[in-house]
Amino acid sequence: MDTHIAEPWRAGRSLATELRAVLMIARKEWMIFRRYPSWVIALFIWPVLMPLAYIFTAQALGGPGGESLTRFQQLTGTRDYAAFIVLGSILWMWLNMTLWDVGMYLRNEQMHGTLESNWLCPTWRVSLILGGALTKLLVSVAFILISLLEFRVLLGVHLLAGNVGLALLALLLTIPIVHGIGIAFASLVLRFKEANAMVFLVRGIFMIFCGITFPVAVLPGWMQVIAAVLPLTYAIHAVRAALLANAGWAELSADLLVLGAYAIAAPLLGYILFGIVERGARRRGDLGQY
Amino acid sequence: MPSTSLAQPTWRSYIRAALAIARKDTIVFFRYPANALFRVIEPIAWLTPMYFLGKSFAGSAGNTGFAAYTGTNDYMSFILLGAVLANYIAAVFWGMGYALKSEMDAGVLESNWMAPIPRALLLVGQTLASLAITTFNSAGMLLLGWLLFGFQVSGNALAAALILIPMLVALYGFGFAFAAIVLLMRDANTMVDVSNYLISMLAGSQFPVQVLPRLLLPLSLALPLTYGFDAIRALLLGVRPLLALHYEIAILIGFMAVMTPLGYFVFKRIERYCQMRGTLSMH
Amino acid sequence: MASSAPVLEFPPPVPADVLAAHLYTPSRAEQLIVDVHDLRKVFVKRRSAPDASMWQRLALRAQRTDERVAVAGVSFGIAEGEIFGLLGPNGAGKTTTIRMLSTLLQPSAGRATINGYDLASQPDMVRRNLGAVLTGERSIYWKLSARENLEYFAALYHLPPAIARRRVAELLERLDLASRANDPVEGYSSGMKQRVAIAKALLANPPVVLLDEPTIGLDPQSARNLRELILEIKREGRTVLLTTHYMEEADLLCDRVGIIDLGKIIALDTPAALKRSIRQLDVMQLEVEAFDEALMPELEALPGVQQSAVRYRDDERVWSLALHSTDSRAVLPRAIALITAHSGRIRHMAVAEPSLEDVFIALTGKQLRD
Ligand SMILES: Nc1ncnc2c1ncn2[C@@H]1O[C@H](COP(=O)(O)OP(=O)(O)OP(=O)(O)O)[C@@H](O)[C@H]1O
Ligand SMILES: [Mg+2]
Repeated sequence: MDTHIAEPWRAGRSLATELRAVLMIARKEWMIFRRYPSWVIALFIWPVLMPLAYIFTAQALGGPGGESLTRFQQLTGTRDYAAFIVLGSILWMWLNMTLWDVGMYLRNEQMHGTLESNWLCPTWRVSLILGGALTKLLVSVAFILISLLEFRVLLGVHLLAGNVGLALLALLLTIPIVHGIGIAFASLVLRFKEANAMVFLVRGIFMIFCGITFPVAVLPGWMQVIAAVLPLTYAIHAVRAALLANAGWAELSADLLVLGAYAIAAPLLGYILFGIVERGARRRGDLGQY
Repeated sequence: MPSTSLAQPTWRSYIRAALAIARKDTIVFFRYPANALFRVIEPIAWLTPMYFLGKSFAGSAGNTGFAAYTGTNDYMSFILLGAVLANYIAAVFWGMGYALKSEMDAGVLESNWMAPIPRALLLVGQTLASLAITTFNSAGMLLLGWLLFGFQVSGNALAAALILIPMLVALYGFGFAFAAIVLLMRDANTMVDVSNYLISMLAGSQFPVQVLPRLLLPLSLALPLTYGFDAIRALLLGVRPLLALHYEIAILIGFMAVMTPLGYFVFKRIERYCQMRGTLSMH
Repeated sequence: MASSAPVLEFPPPVPADVLAAHLYTPSRAEQLIVDVHDLRKVFVKRRSAPDASMWQRLALRAQRTDERVAVAGVSFGIAEGEIFGLLGPNGAGKTTTIRMLSTLLQPSAGRATINGYDLASQPDMVRRNLGAVLTGERSIYWKLSARENLEYFAALYHLPPAIARRRVAELLERLDLASRANDPVEGYSSGMKQRVAIAKALLANPPVVLLDEPTIGLDPQSARNLRELILEIKREGRTVLLTTHYMEEADLLCDRVGIIDLGKIIALDTPAALKRSIRQLDVMQLEVEAFDEALMPELEALPGVQQSAVRYRDDERVWSLALHSTDSRAVLPRAIALITAHSGRIRHMAVAEPSLEDVFIALTGKQLRD
């Protein structure tokens, strides 16, 4: 009668077992993550350091008495260039971390030879990735909170002044987008095995086209077209407008709509791509190779 | 039939040894051509945002705010020159700092340390390679900068190159000490990364250091590199210097006079330490 | 009946005269190309954890809490043209000795000369007269080709360009590397990499060659070829100091062997003389399945047994048992009875010629490999 114990493979997949698997994978990732003390620096030091160079450059561009700030204000709606840059850089670093972590997650397992043993488990492939992503998501949330706090204390940049609710909504919609980009990226890394160059390429594209440290309006026409395709452009615009210009529903609904669409499309496309790569890998049998 | 060693040390054989080391480093560097190319195009990823950041502050008369600080509104040439100098800083931190360590990890450092040459000569050879490679990278970067951002300089390039000499000698003197210290560290990655970024930034590779907040400005002014950046920009771009040029040059020469023996001293000391503890082969 | 057996000490002391005869006492008259006097190395371990800060490590004033004596004073001399082997188990101090002689490690005490040059005061001359392979295939650049490696090290060893070119070509040819001389080393087999490392050591035509475990990690065929090469190096008139923990290798290659254990040389002579020293003993070798190691004391207590050692051999899944006794005919039946009574199955046994391994067992009561 007790077929569940005698023949566990008959038990099949239930949501509960998958969920347990996801949590176990997340736990494993967390334990590995804790082993490397340099994460402290990644979490606490880089978020402040990275935008500093841009902030100081902006200060220099603004002039000693802020005489050039009027132009900046016309373009962005704010004179607070520090807050403007900080918001962009937080989002970018979040994406950057996800690219490295999710992108490298499968690749690392591939290089250590543990990918195949994970693949052998009767777990849904998506769970394998979700489990890894869950840990990273927690780390990302911690990262964003720490960044906000550090900028408040160290640079006196006050970010939680405007329409916090809408900014939060935009961020929530961005989570699945970043995750989707991460999965797509991980699939490509798995396929082409050139992680470093690809991280550089992808994050460089976002850095240059999404207006991380400057308003997209100054880009030449053809670059603006590319910017308009990238979801991060909308996320950054929405968060900035909500927090720095206290924008409401009326101004942001278009941005949020686009983000909502991407929030559905990005993970979907990511997983479809992943499925294609996985099938290809199984056909060629190069999953364990590196 | 006793054999006698073929080693015939002369002053020329020492130079040949240093050049052989430089040649070896260069060959190894270009064995990864993608890497070499990457070094040239990587800076574009942060230079482009800088370029557009400048555009978003530019009024009808150009970047007048920037000109009020520096005396020039060509902020992009200002930043590109800074990026070139920052390349040398990065070369010292990553190249020099890591070269010995990666040879140690590969196991080949001992082979070099058993050769009948002063061990500091290995670093001299590495310095030569690093200078050549970095200059090559920088030239590529400036070419791209010229194509994309209209990089241009006027002014006395020869004088600027002369100022570069004490600055680079001092920087690489520091590199000797740094390379030796990295040898002792387990995971130096983060330290190298953070110090490289901070020092480049504080020396003003991207902006005039006058904009730094009161807390950071003294740190910046305490770095001799700051004056090197400043003097070279003053000569090539007509930037208003922080101090009179001859003071800046004196600071750089003093920096060189201190850093070079200090770097050598630290290196010797750590060499002795390694020889005592046998840490060279622990991987 | 066992009551008549002599009371055995364990381990039995090596007779003082035997020991004295085998320990080298340097004599001024000999022409020694490598001359080592009471060389010691004590590693001072810091108390703090491995992740102690750099500054703690830099502070050389060590907290002298944990000292590890790696080499406890060794003396030996090597005559010109000799192959001298240091044979000993893991951690005996072989590598440490050889690394001190190659100027990579500062001795704590003692002195040594190589080709007449003093290790401490003339390290540069010592390096000029030495060729060494310490970390095997890892001692060369994998990203460079064999030729580039050799040209590079030729410059570091001060070879004039013309001589360097000739020497590199000659060595590539001789070590059978010429056909792939321009490919990066990373694509070579282990044996080829090892040969490049040896070519590197021979570049400057050094009178003395140091080899640390030269055949470790090589397949049997490559190891055989390499041993052949080492003999060739000797025939060129070079002096070779090598370490090994394969007794067959020491036996085959070395003119004289120093047996080293726990940082001390406990015997030193030609392999033949070393084996002769225990010839009055019968060496019994048994391979036993399902052996119970708890039996060892009982076996050792058998009358006539002088020394014994046991080792489990993974590859064959048997226990290798060595018994030294003055009278194997009396001991063997009783040993077999004892083992089989405890359900051990004897797969193979022999009364063998003593090997260097048996010398080591006789001296230390341990197997060389474990
Ligand atoms: N750098 C070091 N610091 C501390 N202890 C060391 C160091 N190098 C070696 N030792 C210790 O000295 C002892 C002798 O080591 P050594 O490497 O000389 O042995 P070996 O005879 O070469 O052994 P093996 O057959 O394993 O190569 C060992 O106990 C080792 O742990
Ligand atoms: Mg050893």
